[in-house]
Amino acid sequence: MDSTVFIYAGVLLKAMGTTIWLSWLALLIGALGGFILALMQTSRFRALRIVTLLYTQFFVSVPVLIVLFFCYYGLPRLFDIEISSFAAATIALAAHASAMLSAVIAAGITSVGRGQWEAAQVSGMTYPQLMRHIIMPQAAQVILPPFVGVYIRLVKESSIAALIGYVELTQTGLLIRESTHAGLAIIGVVALLYFILNYSISLAGGALERRLKVAGRPPLGARQ
Amino acid sequence: MEFLAGQLRPIYPYLGELYSAAWTTLVLSLGAIVAALVLGTIVAFGRVSAHRLVRIAATFYVEFLRNIPLLVLLYFIYFLLPALGLRFSPFVSALIGMALHESAYMTEILRAGLSAVPVGQYEAAQSQGMTRFQLQRHIVLPQVFRTIYVPLGTQFTMVIIASSLASAISVDEVSGWMQTAGADTFRFFDVFLIAAFVYVVLCQLVNLLHTVVGRLLFRAKG
Amino acid sequence: MTASPMLRIDGLVKRYGAHTVLDGVSLDVSPGEVVCIIGPSGTGKSTLLRCVNGLDDIQGGEITVAGMPARAHSKGILEVRKRIGMIFQSFNLYPHLTALQNVMLAPVVVHGEKRSTVEERARALLAKVRLSHRFDAYPGQLSGGEQQRVAIARALATNPGLLMFDEPTSALDPETVGEVLAVMRDLAKEGRTMLVVTHEIRFAADVGTRMVFMDQGKIVESGDPREMLADPKTPRARAFLQSVMAH
Repeated sequence: MDSTVFIYAGVLLKAMGTTIWLSWLALLIGALGGFILALMQTSRFRALRIVTLLYTQFFVSVPVLIVLFFCYYGLPRLFDIEISSFAAATIALAAHASAMLSAVIAAGITSVGRGQWEAAQVSGMTYPQLMRHIIMPQAAQVILPPFVGVYIRLVKESSIAALIGYVELTQTGLLIRESTHAGLAIIGVVALLYFILNYSISLAGGALERRLKVAGRPPLGARQ
Repeated sequence: MEFLAGQLRPIYPYLGELYSAAWTTLVLSLGAIVAALVLGTIVAFGRVSAHRLVRIAATFYVEFLRNIPLLVLLYFIYFLLPALGLRFSPFVSALIGMALHESAYMTEILRAGLSAVPVGQYEAAQSQGMTRFQLQRHIVLPQVFRTIYVPLGTQFTMVIIASSLASAISVDEVSGWMQTAGADTFRFFDVFLIAAFVYVVLCQLVNLLHTVVGRLLFRAKG
Repeated sequence: MTASPMLRIDGLVKRYGAHTVLDGVSLDVSPGEVVCIIGPSGTGKSTLLRCVNGLDDIQGGEITVAGMPARAHSKGILEVRKRIGMIFQSFNLYPHLTALQNVMLAPVVVHGEKRSTVEERARALLAKVRLSHRFDAYPGQLSGGEQQRVAIARALATNPGLLMFDEPTSALDPETVGEVLAVMRDLAKEGRTMLVVTHEIRFAADVGTRMVFMDQGKIVESGDPREMLADPKTPRARAFLQSVMAH
C-alpha cells in the first residue's frame, strides 16, 4: 500500500500544481471583481451599493457547489455553448472569491479615516489619484490578512472541481484510489498535501504582514 | 403565473424529494453543529491546558482540520468507516466529517469565549470553595455560552451551506437533489434557482430562530 | 495685486437635514488679508471652510475663489482646490509617507511638477517650519505640534493663493500651540492671504487684519481685531469675548 504512494508521487505533485493554478486564477479574477465591487460598495450611489449587497448576500446564502453545477451543466444549455470543467470551476470559484474579497477590500477602504480623504481631496487630487496614493496603500495593510485567508479558502474550495470531473488534487486522489485500491492511504496523503500547501501559504502571509507594517500601525483581521 | 407553472411542470414530481432533501440538510447541519460544540469544547480546554503535549495535540488538531478541504475529509471518513468494519450510512459519515471540520472553528470561538471570562470570576468562585468542575459548570460555561451565542448562529448557516458537499458521498440532501432533478429534466436553470431558494430560506429560518431564542434566553440581563 | 477678492462668499446657506448650520453668510477675503473667525463651538465656523473647498455641498448662495465658482462635486472644484491650501484640526498627514513625502506628494501628483524641483522646495519649506531635521520621520514619530507644522508645509508646497486654517491649534498640547502660532505669524508677515478659524483670540488680535464673530450660523460682528476686542459693538460678541478672555 505504501509503495503505491511513492509511485504516484509525481502525479500527485502535478495535481497539486493544477490545484494551485486553478485557485490562483480564481483569486486573481476574484480580486479584480472584488475591487470593482468594493468601489461600488463604498460609492455615493445607493443603486450601486444595493447591487453589491445583493451579489455578496447571494454568495453567503448559496453554496458555491450548486453555482458550480449550474455553470457546468446549466450554462451550456442556456447559451448553447461548450464549457470545460476547468472553465466552469474557474467561473464559479472566481465569482465566489469576488463576493468574499469585495467585503474585505471595502473594509480596508473604510478603515482609512475620513481625514485622509479630506486632506487628499483639498489638495486637488482626483478620485483615481487619491485612491492610488493615499487610500489603497493604507487599506492594503488591513486587507492583507483576510486576503490570505480567502486564498486558503479558495485552495480548499477548488476541491469541488473534482465533482465535475476536473482533474485536480482531490480528483487525482480519487482516481488513484479506484485504480489501485490503495483506499484510505491515498486520501490521507491528499489531505496532507492540502495541509502543507495551506499552512505554507498562511506562514508566508504572516511574514508578508510583518514586512508591511507601517510605523505604529498594527495589522488587523482574523482569517477563516 | 401560468407560464411559470408550465415551466415548472417537469419539476413537480421531484418536489416531494426536495422536501425530504431539505429536511436532511437541516438535520445533518444541526447534528454537525451540536457534535462540533461538544468536540470543540473538549479541544478548547486542551488548547489552554497546562500540559504542553496536550496543547500541541489540540493545536495540531485545529490547524490540520482548518487547512484541509471538507470534501477530502468527507471522503476520508466515508472510506475509513468500512475499513474499520463499521457499517454506517453515508449520512453518518457526513455527520462525522462535518462535525470534525466544524469543531476546528468551534474551538477557536470557544477559546475566545473562555478568555473573555475575567480572572476575577475564577478567584471569586475558588474563594467560595467551588471545585474546578463546579466552577466550570456554574460560572464559566454559562458566561462563555453568552459570548459565543452570536457567532454560533453564523456558524450554523455556514454549516448549512457546507452540507452541500455531502452530496458527494451520496447523501440525499438539496445539492444532490439539484443534480438528480437537473439530470433528469434538463431544466438546470430552474432547479438551480429552486435549490438556491431553499438554501436561502433555510439560512433565513435558522437566523430568525437564532434571534428569537437569543432574545428569550438573554432577556434584559444587561 | 488686483483689487478683486481672493474669496467671495455671498449669502451662503448650509443645512444638515432640518438643521440650518449657515444662515446667509457673506464674507470677502482680499489678497493679503488675515481674516480670523471666532465664536462659540458648533456655530458653523468649520463648516464654512469646508463649503469653500467643496467638502460639503451648499443649499443656497454662491462661493467664488479667485474668480472661479466653487461647488462641491462639480468639475471645477478641482481647480479651486489647487488654489487653496488647507490645514486641519487633526492634521490628517498621510501616515504611510515621511514628512518630506507628505509635502512633495500634491505638487508632483496633482500639479505635475518635476520631482527634483519639488524636492528642493519641500526641503526649503520644512526648513522654514523648523523641521529640516525631521524630513525623514513618519507622522507617527512626530509630536502634535511637529505634525501640524508639516501639515502647514504641505499646504504651502503648492503655492496656494489662499490658506485656510480650521482650528489649527485646538488639538495640540498647550506647550506646542506656540510653535504653530509662530509659523502662522511668519506667514501673515509675508503677506499671505489667510482665513483662520480659531479659539486663540489673542493671536487673532495680534496677527489678524480683520476679526469676524459668528454665532448660530450668522456673522454677528466684523471689524478691526483690536477695536473689536476693546469695544465690541454687539451684546453677543461682548458676552462671548468676556467669557473667553476671562481665562
